[in-house]
Amino acid sequence: MQNATDETDELFEAIGLDLDTERRSVVLAAFRPIAVEIAKLRSLDLGDVYPAVVFSPVPGMAEEPKETR
Amino acid sequence: MTSDLIGQPVDMLAAMLRQGRTSSVDLVSSALERIAAVDGTLQSFVCLASDAHEHARRADVEISAGGWRGPLHGVPVAVKDNYLTSDMPTRAGTSAPGIAFEPRDSSVVARLSAAGAVIIGKTRMHEFAWGNTTPPTRNPWDIARVPGGSSGGSGAAVAAGIVPIALGSDTGGSIRIPASLCGTVGLKPTFGRVSGAGVVPHSWSLDHAGPLSLTVADSAHVLNAIAGHDRGDPGTVPVEVPDFATALNQPINGLRIGVCRNHFFERNETGVLAAVEEAIAYFRDSGAVVIPFEMPILAYGLGAIFAIELSSSTAYHARNIADRHIEAFTDDVRILIEMGRLVTGPDYLKAEQFRRVLMQELARIFASVDVIVGPTTPLTAWPIDENTVQIDGTEESTLAASWRLTYPWNLAGLPAISLPCGFDGRGLPIGLQIAGRPFDELNVLRAAHAYERGHEWKDARPSVQRGGQSDGINP
Repeated sequence: MQNATDETDELFEAIGLDLDTERRSVVLAAFRPIAVEIAKLRSLDLGDVYPAVVFSPVPGMAEEPKETR
Repeated sequence: MTSDLIGQPVDMLAAMLRQGRTSSVDLVSSALERIAAVDGTLQSFVCLASDAHEHARRADVEISAGGWRGPLHGVPVAVKDNYLTSDMPTRAGTSAPGIAFEPRDSSVVARLSAAGAVIIGKTRMHEFAWGNTTPPTRNPWDIARVPGGSSGGSGAAVAAGIVPIALGSDTGGSIRIPASLCGTVGLKPTFGRVSGAGVVPHSWSLDHAGPLSLTVADSAHVLNAIAGHDRGDPGTVPVEVPDFATALNQPINGLRIGVCRNHFFERNETGVLAAVEEAIAYFRDSGAVVIPFEMPILAYGLGAIFAIELSSSTAYHARNIADRHIEAFTDDVRILIEMGRLVTGPDYLKAEQFRRVLMQELARIFASVDVIVGPTTPLTAWPIDENTVQIDGTEESTLAASWRLTYPWNLAGLPAISLPCGFDGRGLPIGLQIAGRPFDELNVLRAAHAYERGHEWKDARPSVQRGGQSDGINP
């Protein structure tokens, strides 16, 4: 049986956040008030509404700035 | 030559250039003198163009030969450090080692150059446009206070009379917040009106490129130069581009001014509230029809913009997270990029659903109003290093407070302008925000210019010192 720490490690690995325990606490604490706002948004029933981002099969020609290294 | 020559609106500079009463070379020299005089204190520039005088000389030759290209020809302008430039490095506000961007002109820079503007340098920004204080830039009205952000360098440079125009970018208020805090005009055009190609992304569907300027007319001139469809930016829309200068000097009799009484008027500093109510009264007294309304759905907006902005920014920085460049970012920015991983896919899509509802609700409201007026920020410039503020008895973070009234227009993608509408008791500028229908910058500019020409706020100049007051008119 996994303990809570293992499960938390696994969860953070699953979301791709590779942080040590101390840093993780800092990020989670900072996210807390934002999580409250997002939870408020979740409470809205918007089931049938099409999202504002609409897929198009026509490829864009984006000229994103490229980082040079 | 005096360094205050440059601190004049573009209309005046353009007339002087055409009449041979000044030259572009003199204007560039004037801007550089002004930088030498005040930017050691303000720190609004991160880079100066080595070829500015050469471009200015070419502009002078063209103008004297009858080849005047328009109001920006020969006028020195600055661009935010997230606009790619071929002849200056781009850092997007970061000093993290190992990150550099390709040297080429962004679409906006190319269009400004085509309009004859002389790019003299790049302005400081909050790292990767993720904040509203722009350290170490200082506010020209009181150097102990922040200029706002993330285009804080542009706001400070324009307010201090270094350049009449500086380009910014606005994801949740980053043009309008520094405009409000520094007492300049700041215009966020409709999403899709101006190309973002070659601007370092922060959040693709929220980012807007636009000007900060001394006057409403100057922003209209810049929009004329930079607006239009661009194949390099799939977000730009191939709609007709009007002459935005036609919105200037128009009557506002009968213009329908919407005032959203919830959200925008719920928690503002006393001085801000008084100035904005006076502005609304001015519109009413000038023959406009003021129509109050409420939009309860705005209570859900903060979660939506956080979900979109955090997840977008984290997606953009995936490589910087993977190769640990992020560890050299400033901690306030690093933490925001890391926490984007905590926003789930369903949350992101819910936020995009919310946007659709917000756009539909605003379309319903805009059937009966032409523009919506309110404060730009609920507070004036706050002291550097102060992270919380008390407004109306409620303590909140300066970050949360400062963008509360600007981000709804990023979520909806609608055009919005901030212009000065007075000073608070400490002599700090207050911003009035006017938003409009999609691609209806004309009515936004029309209302803004009508207000501006009925007041003298645009003529006030800071003295660039601690607790500095207006050199022009008394607050």
